[in-house]
Amino acid sequence: MTKLLLRVALLLGAVGLLGGLGIWLGLRYGYVDAFYARFAAQPAGSLVLGTSRAAQGIKPGVLAARLGGRYQGPWLNYAFTLAESPYGPGYLGSIQRKLAPGTRHGLFVLAVDPWSLSMPAAVLDKRPLVFPEAQSMVSQLRSVSQSPNLDYLAHYLHKPFYQLLLDTDPRHVVERLHPDGWLEIAIPPPTADTALLRRRTAEKLATYRPIAANSRLAAVRLLSLWQTITLLKQHGQVVLVRLPTGAAMAALEDDYQPGFDQLMGQAAAEQHVIYRSYLHSPYATNDGNHLTRDAAEQFSQRLATDITQLAAAPEGE
Amino acid sequence: MLFNSLHFLVFFPLVVGLYYALPARWRAPLVLLASYYFYFSWRPEYTLLLAATTLLDYYSGLRMSRLRTQAQRRPWLYLSLASNLGTLFLFKYFNFFRDTANGLAEALHLPMAAPALALVLPVGVSFYTFQSVAYIVDVYKGKLEAERNLGRFALFVAFFPQLVAGPIERGSQMLPQLRQSHEFDYGGVASGLRLMAWGMFKKVVIADRLALLANPVFDHPRRFDSLALVLAVAAFTGQIYADFSGYTDLARGSARVLGYQLVLNFRQPYLATSVGDFWRRWHLSLSNWFRDYVYIPLGGSRRSPARNYANILIVFLLSGLWHGASWTFVVWGALHGLYLVAENWTAPIRTSLAKLTGLAARPRLHRVLASAATVALVAYAWIFFRANSLPDAFYISTHLFRGWGKLHPAQLQGLLAGLGRHFVAELLVAAGAVALLAVADYRAERGSVAAWLARWPAPLRWASYLGLLLATLYGGVFGSNQFIYFQF
Repeated sequence: MTKLLLRVALLLGAVGLLGGLGIWLGLRYGYVDAFYARFAAQPAGSLVLGTSRAAQGIKPGVLAARLGGRYQGPWLNYAFTLAESPYGPGYLGSIQRKLAPGTRHGLFVLAVDPWSLSMPAAVLDKRPLVFPEAQSMVSQLRSVSQSPNLDYLAHYLHKPFYQLLLDTDPRHVVERLHPDGWLEIAIPPPTADTALLRRRTAEKLATYRPIAANSRLAAVRLLSLWQTITLLKQHGQVVLVRLPTGAAMAALEDDYQPGFDQLMGQAAAEQHVIYRSYLHSPYATNDGNHLTRDAAEQFSQRLATDITQLAAAPEGE
Repeated sequence: MLFNSLHFLVFFPLVVGLYYALPARWRAPLVLLASYYFYFSWRPEYTLLLAATTLLDYYSGLRMSRLRTQAQRRPWLYLSLASNLGTLFLFKYFNFFRDTANGLAEALHLPMAAPALALVLPVGVSFYTFQSVAYIVDVYKGKLEAERNLGRFALFVAFFPQLVAGPIERGSQMLPQLRQSHEFDYGGVASGLRLMAWGMFKKVVIADRLALLANPVFDHPRRFDSLALVLAVAAFTGQIYADFSGYTDLARGSARVLGYQLVLNFRQPYLATSVGDFWRRWHLSLSNWFRDYVYIPLGGSRRSPARNYANILIVFLLSGLWHGASWTFVVWGALHGLYLVAENWTAPIRTSLAKLTGLAARPRLHRVLASAATVALVAYAWIFFRANSLPDAFYISTHLFRGWGKLHPAQLQGLLAGLGRHFVAELLVAAGAVALLAVADYRAERGSVAAWLARWPAPLRWASYLGLLLATLYGGVFGSNQFIYFQF
């Protein structure tokens, strides 16, 4: 038995050494995916929350540079996707795990839109307390602040490890998740190529129209948003924002939930937090939905300015 | 717990370490405990179901062994069959038959709507149920002594390496092994570990990678035609083999590490030269089960050709239904049944044709062509096995060869989307891994791969083990991908 144990240990040792070295190099110099860096970052004192619009549209680095003196860091964009991080108990649990213990003066930017507070009508009618994202990565991942995050790499990395080593040159990477959690989509802005923008917008609308047709605002999601605000208020200042988007998408949202701004305004007033809608503000998008990287910079600057002013103004404005 | 999970990576070495550290008499109880923990980790409540059916089968077997005639044993046989097949029906087939009945009633404008059961299918239920049914029938027929030790019988049913997806063991093969004491054997443990490493490679490097090619097409078939559909079908043909045989290698390997030999489940099925030959190489433990407990009791080939064909069709329809409670599986089974009937029926014509064309005089070429034709037929049937619905399956099967003149770049883009940005590297890795599997199967067809490896110089052999493990680590597609056969 000793002979076998020795040989197996030698073999596994060699695998561990060579494998570990490659993976370490990949994590150090390569690129993992659109989520990993958020789970490898240390617990945060200030967070940007929401779905992909916020993930691509708000740069924590800009907020930190402008507001770092007023709010506690580290700053992190902890927004994911509509499938992973709509408001619900799964996302709330993950936020709790990510929040730095002892945070008292954080800034929490909660991006809201009708999609992240809706659910399929079929689910609401048949199983109103079931959250479709309950088995998602954000809901399930227990370790959210580990580097390297082996739990994530083992369960949720959907590409082979060798590919980490192929993405060492950031100039050739279209999608890049920055250490502060901002997801940069490094494609040339399609505003110059209107045909491309029209095609991408049409595809995006084709995805969202059926969602609008088959979904409703969900009381359970609104409750979860309420709970998220209540939790985060204990750790600092909460700001609810509705991000800008393309004109056609904004029209679809207005058509789907015409009273959304009013609803959010009421909720914000009841919770004594700030709500600001930028839905119709003219910023460039990549696909009629998500801001371009340049627009994200501009919008983050504006948001920082507004937060400075709004925080100083009376509540509910 | 999946074999390709971190959980198993901790569980298995712990069990093996304890197994050989404990005195021999405690080893079987340890494996029983480990097996129940293994099952418990899926869904705790279904452990009770497993325990209940085990108790009933054990008691039925014991009672039957005390009775002299089959007539006296029959009530116990029926009780056990009712319990096993009833469980299977309730959890796996009730909603299928209910949906079918409701659909029929709707079509006939009958005011009937049976309610659905909100039950989750217990993992492995089809496998352990069939294993228990084989045991109970063998005891009833007097071919097998009933097991008197409850713990041993429970281990026979719940043995963790093969509990959730087979191979379906027979009492005559497994129970004697459970009565023996298993001492540490270097050769056995080493060959078990090799088999496990190979199975893991097949699963995470080949099957899960090919799935990335097949899934986008099978999930939205109407976005594709011609080449994209053919490639997706080819990818699934490789995926299902690498997935299921990979699982079987992991099961057989982990059992071998503990000193147990599980039956062979695959013998290079894609080298088969006819569909009949394919079924003598694919999922052998299930094929043999259907042969012994359905086909032969129905009369097998002993009666008229028409009756034989009917028996073949019945067996394959049941085999299709065993795989899943869906009409797609029924059609898949029916197709294989029809293939076999046609194969039997046309055997003389094909022999004459082979002589006429000179193929009979060139056996190697004949074999290659026969293998290619068999794989094509099997691959065509896989469409029904994998498709999400019958309309999808019919769409794919009727659009495979349409529009070859105009290949749309958008379709190829959609096909390759699952492979990500580095699709060229992914295709190269997939091709390399499939080639390695083909070489291994070719070697296995000519003799034992283990014996072939043993002839290599030690440094080269160990370098190949290291290479295989590193390829699995670097090239594996990880991330909770379940084995396909776990759903059955």
